Amino acid sequence: MALLALVPLAYVASYVVIIGPVDLWQLVARPRIAELLRNTVTLAVACMAATAVLGVALAVLVERTDLPGRRLWHGLLVAPLAVPAFVNGYAWVSLDRSINGFGGAFLVVTLSYYPLVYLPVVAMLRRLDPALEESAWSLGHSRTRTFRTVVLPQLRPALLGGALLVGLHLLAEFGALSLLRFPTFTTAIYDQYGSTFNGAAATAMAGVLVLLCLVLLLAELRLRGDRRYARVGRGAARSAVPLALGTWRWPLVATVGAVVVLAIGVPAFSLVRWLLVGTSTEFPLGELAQALVSTVVLALAGAVATTLAAIPVVWLAVRHRGWASTVIERSTYVANALPGIVVGLALVVASLRLVPVVYQTAGLLVAAYAILFLPRAVVTVRAGLEQAPVVLDDVAHGLGLGPLATARRVTLPLIAPSLGAGAALVFLAISTELTATLMLSPIGTSTLATEFWSASSELRYGAAAPYALLLVLVSIPATVLLMRTDSPATTAAVEERVPA
Amino acid sequence: MSSLTITGVTRSFGSTRAVDDVTLEVPHGSFTTVLGPSGCGKTTLLRLIAGFLVPESGTIAFGSTVVAGDGVRPMPPQTRRVGYVPQEGALFPHLDVAANIAFGLPRDERGTTGEDRVAEMLDLVELPRDFRDRRPDELSGGQQQRVALARSLAPAPAVVLLDEPFSSLDAGLRGSTARAVRRALQATNTTALLVTHDQNEALSLADQVAVMRGGRLVQSAPPSEVYLSPSDPQVAEFVGRAVVLPGTARGTRATCALGEVVLTAPAEGDVALMVRPEQVFVDLAHAEGVRGTVEEVSYYGHDCAVQVRLDEGTSVLARMAGVRHPVAGDPVHLRVTGLVRAYTSAGLP
Amino acid sequence: MTTSPRRSATRVSVALASTLLTASTLSGCGVFGSPDLVIYNAQHEQLLDELVPLFEEESGLDVELRHGKDLEMANQITEEGEDSPADVFLTENSPAMTIVDNAGLFTELPEAVTATIPDDYVPADRTWTGFLARSTVAMYNTDTMTEADMPASILDFADPEWEGRVAFSPTGADFQAIVSAVLELEGEEATRTWLEGLEANGVIVQNNLVVMQSVDSGEVDAGIAYHYYWYRDREENGTDSDTSALHFFGDQDPGAFLSISGAGILASSEKQAEAEEFLTWLTGTEAQQAMAESYALEYPLNPDASLNPEVKPFGELEPPQVDVSSLNGPQVTDLMTEAGLL
Repeated sequence: MALLALVPLAYVASYVVIIGPVDLWQLVARPRIAELLRNTVTLAVACMAATAVLGVALAVLVERTDLPGRRLWHGLLVAPLAVPAFVNGYAWVSLDRSINGFGGAFLVVTLSYYPLVYLPVVAMLRRLDPALEESAWSLGHSRTRTFRTVVLPQLRPALLGGALLVGLHLLAEFGALSLLRFPTFTTAIYDQYGSTFNGAAATAMAGVLVLLCLVLLLAELRLRGDRRYARVGRGAARSAVPLALGTWRWPLVATVGAVVVLAIGVPAFSLVRWLLVGTSTEFPLGELAQALVSTVVLALAGAVATTLAAIPVVWLAVRHRGWASTVIERSTYVANALPGIVVGLALVVASLRLVPVVYQTAGLLVAAYAILFLPRAVVTVRAGLEQAPVVLDDVAHGLGLGPLATARRVTLPLIAPSLGAGAALVFLAISTELTATLMLSPIGTSTLATEFWSASSELRYGAAAPYALLLVLVSIPATVLLMRTDSPATTAAVEERVPA
Repeated sequence: MSSLTITGVTRSFGSTRAVDDVTLEVPHGSFTTVLGPSGCGKTTLLRLIAGFLVPESGTIAFGSTVVAGDGVRPMPPQTRRVGYVPQEGALFPHLDVAANIAFGLPRDERGTTGEDRVAEMLDLVELPRDFRDRRPDELSGGQQQRVALARSLAPAPAVVLLDEPFSSLDAGLRGSTARAVRRALQATNTTALLVTHDQNEALSLADQVAVMRGGRLVQSAPPSEVYLSPSDPQVAEFVGRAVVLPGTARGTRATCALGEVVLTAPAEGDVALMVRPEQVFVDLAHAEGVRGTVEEVSYYGHDCAVQVRLDEGTSVLARMAGVRHPVAGDPVHLRVTGLVRAYTSAGLP
Repeated sequence: MTTSPRRSATRVSVALASTLLTASTLSGCGVFGSPDLVIYNAQHEQLLDELVPLFEEESGLDVELRHGKDLEMANQITEEGEDSPADVFLTENSPAMTIVDNAGLFTELPEAVTATIPDDYVPADRTWTGFLARSTVAMYNTDTMTEADMPASILDFADPEWEGRVAFSPTGADFQAIVSAVLELEGEEATRTWLEGLEANGVIVQNNLVVMQSVDSGEVDAGIAYHYYWYRDREENGTDSDTSALHFFGDQDPGAFLSISGAGILASSEKQAEAEEFLTWLTGTEAQQAMAESYALEYPLNPDASLNPEVKPFGELEPPQVDVSSLNGPQVTDLMTEAGLL
């Protein structure tokens, strides 16, 4: 499985070797690359900063103050996860065409991605031991000072992990940025691919993109530092005393409300408007149903395959720690640094040259999904397996169970919730995957994302609306699962802080 | 007849010999404790017996069956019929008490006959039968340990191995849980091997105490013998408190800082003398014996420990019962009662 | 005794099995059976979605479409080689046909297939045939511009006076076909200069629809696209064309380039007869007329079919003479990459 995950990387690397250093330099050292680099880095840095500020501020308001209606706000603030970024982009750009370029991309991507910071920070806040704050408080620190000196440092891993996720998502984002006309490496790779399919320039850009991802991963590792954070207990028994907002109460409610309106209200309004008034709006029930069924079936198959593939990787990483197992686990992340289009292309080339029979089969598409989303499953399943101490296996062996029976009767039941959460995460990602699906799907198979894309890129916004609506509906169950901050997926995000 | 025979077993991790040429016999139906400080190799020995580790040399036999050893393909843990009770019980968190206890029963016995067995086991470990439906997180630490023992006993194992099973319990619970465990093991006549660093636990529970140090088994004997006749001064100091003093022996008598003492066995020349604190008599009334000054008193109710600095400089510990006890600064006289063990070649502490 | 873990494990395995089962049927298309004809289509998805059912009804054949873009699909077919699942390849513009042709992957078409299409739109070796044509145009905003303000040649858009005023979509195959015509007619150096000028002047947008919107909204004064985008919008509701007009360059200018949509049969196809049946139908009067009457408003190449008279007549376009089989896609991509447009 880890080998399969390395196929895209091997493809890029071998292609880079074939291009040769001279031509490669010509392809990389040109103004277009500089422009893309500037766009990509600026957007990534700006969005990571904005989502970090927004995510932490909202989390603190909801978790640690007497903001009215906190439970309701929490649900509404997580809800953008159910709206794929490209649907959000479509909603904004189709309302007002002036929403584009850096400003539009910054707005839409920030509104789509801030829950990736918000959720882990909320989970962390809930699990912090209030005794720490109380002791700082009793040592004469004010509430705000206590927050700054005691709470914020402890939020650091969750905040960094979330921001890293935002960055990695952004580097691979295609649909939203393409609709908003803000070119980055991923959209440029797609454009190159449209012109050359398997071209040298696209591969050179993919190489630069991989380097960017590695920079991001290393930066996060470095920022996180060697500092060890005391493991916080699972679910503090008491919750902290909420901070009284006083006269700020209502202005802050209005602010949180504004975020919700922008993140959920605008897309909902736009979608409903197109459903009702769009001139190209139609409800081709047969096609809608067909796209829905293939989306759900592919996403289910991909979620199951990816989660199953994650089990041995996690098993090795947790139970047989060593450099080899670490390399295997980390290699799955490196592959994840590539956008769907590169993974798709690598699999097209590899399958055509090595195993032509699998070309354009659902199996190959599922393999692409597994490569793209394996890290999400690995993070989650890993958190689960770490809750299943090896001593339980020893006990079972002592009671006469062989390895298989132990796996069936002890380990699997224990990690089942995390398997479910991992599968849900992968399901969510696959149901909105666009580029690899376009390239690898079996002939005659269309998904909600591909149908939505073909309609919205022809500016038939009304025709795209029903697909967008179905995409949101399909995403809701997995989002609800993630909304529970004690879910294994969120726990993993807090504890592991690795990219998904 | 021996239930478990360990012969010359060695196991290393890297360059460290965790278990070094250990030989131990555990009689059928006995309760043996392996006592030693942390890192002495006692848990490794337990895991070798359970089959989680394979010895580099030496043999392990259950009854007459060799399960691991030179030239024998090691038997995997699941076929050895050992009950394993780890630290903190390690109950399966996804199963209730009944399912935990019935876990090791064969599939066809897990049904209604299993129900009876579960009830029997709950009785055995002195837990109410209505605990069967509780989840592990609804039990106290001591209750979890009892269920863990019940789970290991349910399939009627040849040997039960307990790895520091009471170390995470608080003091009050530790004693009662330990006694309940011993009663359950005696009632089923099960051979048990318990690993601990707690000398009180080791001495009070066992028929046989095996003392380990640095991977080696240094003494294996009934508790009273280990206490009264430790094989060397270090064992003496690890098992109970001991005052070890240099002295000069001549036949059955020896002289030391505490004056002249009577030896358990004749010796000659320079020796190390081991005196238990309760052998040191503290005389408050008469000026008879060696003079010293009380430095510190720890009062325990039933008795107290008195640290005395002898006039010639040595500090010794004495243990005295009774209602009257000295306070720091009091002048006292010390005398040794009973027989004293002398060690000739062993190095002084 | 708790049995829930076992029950949930059973549930999981049932779900797993059924998922894998569905996935395998999906992968093998087992339920639907394999199609009689696979078309890789780079022409507009909507057009073929309207057209193919007519053919299926008439022929009784079951057709599967795979949609993509011109050069992407041409290169994909080249990559697939002998293993290509495609039987027929349709493009929007001819450079993509040339790529597949140069790879030797097309089979020579029987004369009957191309009989209804004028020779100008069929390569001499008959490896493929044109079936539709589209004219290059400039659009301009009627509030800020008049017909007289428009340049005589498309090459003039590279002049500094057009800085920030002209929209185009360099990533689309349409624009790249126009560049290939400029390259064919004016040579490499002139093309390079022109592209550099456009890179400096132009407002780059994502496709020709956005070109039209940008012109109509006054965001830019002019834009480069094909004729039918504007006519289609006029036909529909006109919201994106009511403050704009078309400028036809004519006069054999590269800006009057007529781009040919091509159709060819893959040599590796095992469905030669069915593929020929489809192409004969596609170039025949019935299908050509159906396309002419569809939303598409592209020029049918069969002279017996007639297009909506609202559209500028085919005979009045005055396009430059370009050999349909000579347009070079890869060199255009390289030049555009060099100019920083890709």
